[in-house]
Parts: sequence; C-alpha cells; structure tokens
Amino acid sequence: MLISTIFAKRKLAMGLMVVTLLALLLAPQFLSGRSMVTLLTILMYVILTLSWTMFSGPTRLVSLATAALFGMGVYTSAAFEGALPLPVIVAIGALLSLVLALLIGVLTLRLRGVYFILFTFGVSALVRNVVQYWEARVSLTVGRHVPGLPNETLYYYAVAIFALTILAAFLLRDTSLGMALAGIGDNEDAAAHIGIDVTRAKVFTFAGSAIFMGAIGAVMASRFRYIEPAIAFNPLISFLPVLMAIFGGVTRLWGPILGAVIFTLLQHFLITEYPYVYLLIFGLTLIAVIAYLPGGLAEISERNYYKLKGKYLFRKFWLTMKYREWRDRREWRDI
Amino acid sequence: MAVSDADFYVEQGEIVGLIGPNGAGKTTLFNLISGALSSDKGKITFKGEDITDLKPHQINRRGMARTFQTTKLFADMTAFENVRLALLYGNPDRTIRRREAKREVTKLMASVGLLSDRNKPIRDLSLATQRRVEIARALASNPDLLLLDEVMAGLTPNELSQAMQLVTQLRERGTTIFMIEHVMRAIMEVCDRIIVFHYGSKIAEGSPSEVANDQTVNQIYLGN
Repeated sequence: MLISTIFAKRKLAMGLMVVTLLALLLAPQFLSGRSMVTLLTILMYVILTLSWTMFSGPTRLVSLATAALFGMGVYTSAAFEGALPLPVIVAIGALLSLVLALLIGVLTLRLRGVYFILFTFGVSALVRNVVQYWEARVSLTVGRHVPGLPNETLYYYAVAIFALTILAAFLLRDTSLGMALAGIGDNEDAAAHIGIDVTRAKVFTFAGSAIFMGAIGAVMASRFRYIEPAIAFNPLISFLPVLMAIFGGVTRLWGPILGAVIFTLLQHFLITEYPYVYLLIFGLTLIAVIAYLPGGLAEISERNYYKLKGKYLFRKFWLTMKYREWRDRREWRDI
Repeated sequence: MAVSDADFYVEQGEIVGLIGPNGAGKTTLFNLISGALSSDKGKITFKGEDITDLKPHQINRRGMARTFQTTKLFADMTAFENVRLALLYGNPDRTIRRREAKREVTKLMASVGLLSDRNKPIRDLSLATQRRVEIARALASNPDLLLLDEVMAGLTPNELSQAMQLVTQLRERGTTIFMIEHVMRAIMEVCDRIIVFHYGSKIAEGSPSEVANDQTVNQIYLGN
C-alpha cells in the first residue's frame, strides 16, 4: 500500500466522513434507546481502535497499553464522582492518560518487537494492580459509583470525540509526521539516519493517541456506573482494538473503523443469539479472516485491483498465443 | 573491540577510500561515525564540532549522510517517497512546501539517473538501482560529508562504470566522500586518498599508488 494513493483519495474520504458524522448526529432522532447504547459501544471501540492504529499501524509496534490508557480516563471520572461538569472530567481524563502514555513512551523507547508488546501489557497489569492496592489498603473503598448521565448526552460526547479522533488520524496521515512513522515502522535505522528523531516521533504519537483513549474512558465511566479496577482496566480493552484493527486492516483509515463496527455488531449478535457458542464462533471468524485476509478487509479493495490486472495479463497472454499459433500455421502454409 | 586504533581525518572536498579485509571493522567504523553505534572511547569531530555522543538524526542534521552495506530503504514506499522523506527531515532549517518538495526530489532523482524509476516500489528495483535510491536519499539532506558503504559491490561492469561516474559527479558538486569499497578498480580510479584497515586499526594511508605499493598492504591482501 503506497502512501501516495491515500493522498489521491483524500477528498472522497473527507466527504464520506462528513456524511458519516452528520448521520451519527441525527441518529438519536430515529433510534430506540437500546440501539443508541449499541451505537455508543460501537463508537467507543471505533475510537479505541482508531487511536490504537494511529501509533501501532505505521510503526508496527503492537501496543497492549490501551486498557491502562482507557482505564485512566474511566478512573478519573470515578474519582471525581460527578463533582465536576463532564467536559472538565473528560479533559482531565484525557490529560492524565496523556501523562501516563508519556511515561510509558519514555520507558519503552528502546524496545522493539515482542519486548514492546510484553512491556505495554505489563504496564496495563501494573496500573490495574496499583489502583487495586490503593483501594484495598489506602483509600479502603473497593469499587466506586459514578452518577449516571442520560445515554443521549454520553452519545453526543462520544460522537464529538470520534470526530476529533478521525480528524487527528487524517492530519497524522497527511503531515510529514505520518510518513516519518511509516518510515520508522519500515526501517528504524534508516529513519534515524535521514534526520528523523525516532524517539520523539514515537513518544509524541503514542501520547497523542492516548488523549482520545482517556477521553472516551471518562465518558464511558458514566455508562458503566459501577467502577472497579477489573472493569476499568479490563485486559480485553487492550486486545479487542488490536483484533478489530487487524480485522479491518491498518493500511487504510477506514479499515480500523469498519473492523471495529463489524466486530462489535458481530459480538452483540452472537452474544444475544448464541450465548453458549458465542466465543467459539467469534474465534473461528477471526481465524478465517486472518487466514484468508491477512491484510484485513482493507485488502479486498487492493485484491480486486490485482484480480483485474491478472485478467488483463491473462488476456494479453492468450492473444499472444493465438497470434503465434496463427503465424506459425501461416508459415507452414507458405512452405 | 572491533575498532581500537583509528586516527585519521577527511578533508573537505576529498574522496577518501576505506579498504581492508572482511571483518576489519570498516562498517563498524562507519556506524560509529554516523551515530548508529556509540563509542566508549575516543573522539569524533565533524566540521570542528564534537559529535561523539550525538544520535544519528542529530549527526545527519549537522550535514552527514550515509548509505548502508545492505541497503536500508523504506521497502513499502516508492523510490520517490524514500527521497522525499529524507528531504523533509534532513533539512531542519528549512520549511519545505509540498509542491517545492516534489520539484526538488524530481530534480535530485533525475541528477542521479532515477527519473524513470521514481514511482516504482522499492522491491521492484534492481540492486544497482536500489543503491542509487539510497544515494539519492542520502543526498536529499544536502550533506557536506557522504559515507558510502560498499555501493559498488555486486554490480555488473556497466553498472560499475555508471556508479563511478556518479561518485565523481558528486565530488564536482562539492560533497566530500568517504567510502568503503572492495572493488579495487573503483577505489584506484576514484579516490584521492586511501586508508587501509586491518583488525580494527589503521595500518596504512596514502594516495592510491602509494597504498598499492605498500608492503604491509600487499601482505594482508595477497599473503606473501
């Protein structure tokens, strides 16, 4: 997948995004309360997957710190227990998540490949345990209640955060920073030797993407109502965005979005329809996708291109053969 | 210790060759100079400034660029994008607009003979062309000193003459060149001065003819 192709399709993508956002803003007028909750969950996963892809997509460094960064937002919300207005809480959650990501970023500077994955996973577990310890030994309150807010309010916050996330993802792709990240993922040594400050680019993007994770965490806390470390820092929150992004494909911006939407819907459908074999079907679907579409859904669009090209080449080959046959026959006749 | 006794200099405008048997520490020396490795002893100065403890990107921004023995290109990008990225990041004191960058990259690629290959993905290019892309990418940061690590190894005779021509062309442009090379023909014809490395130390230095007639050098290379 070449970066210039993304630039070529930018206008179309922008148009699609504006339409999607408008549809999302109007959706509550037509949807039932339950579908809106589903939509809120979908938005949450889309935001998490998209912000995960911002860093891990181009750099190919798989981060499993999403749970910690999301949980940071959730716990901020829980800690204030509605003492502050939601926008302020969301802002503080985003900020704390950014600080945590900066810390993780500075610690993981030199790690590559599987060491980075393990470290980020470890950090998530560490943060959860620290909070758990704090609640059990210091504050002596395990679990907190967060005053609920109307789902519609939360939904609009999620849409706003989604809009900001997608805007950031667009800008990242469009600026030289995005290209630098792709270079780092491609060949880190080469990137450093052409003047890219590898460390700064990585930490900046990682911390930047955490803002959105923290923000949506702070919003979702009011939906969860009851918060404890196991809920806020659920390891699944780390794994699901990775799976969704792989499912959708990270080479296109719409890949992770589509992946998150389909994945969440599939999960909802399977849980309600086949609660007993849900995980089984879920796992099989995932295996099938990875086996047959290693580039995710985004690959389909590219594969079609090659199929067409293949057809063209075959036709050319076939015509050449026909021509030679005809030429040879004529030569024989001439003799 | 791969490199232990290497005291030498490269003058502005020179083409200096670095030769030595396999495992002599030539590439390690390059890695020390470009910042890929950090040295625990010794001092490296560039344009009068101590660069011993600087990181690769800082050294690059001070005007040094390099190629790699096994090419390290961005394989998922086109040749053009490889060079453009280096142009955008290797010139920190300039703000380069998109259109300006396009024009400059195209010009640069034309000057090293890559115009027709510029929009191809790296993996579709031959080794010789990939090396050229790497040189173009190094040149994009407008370096005063260019480190070339075996850019002529494995080329056909035809490609070799073209590569030698390119190196001479670069000197005319005012770029100082420090190159590791095994191809003797290239070294002898192109370089002003040659440094010979063996077991991580400098064992000889001088003009191509001096080095070719040096007793120790002949002993190492020919074993008599």
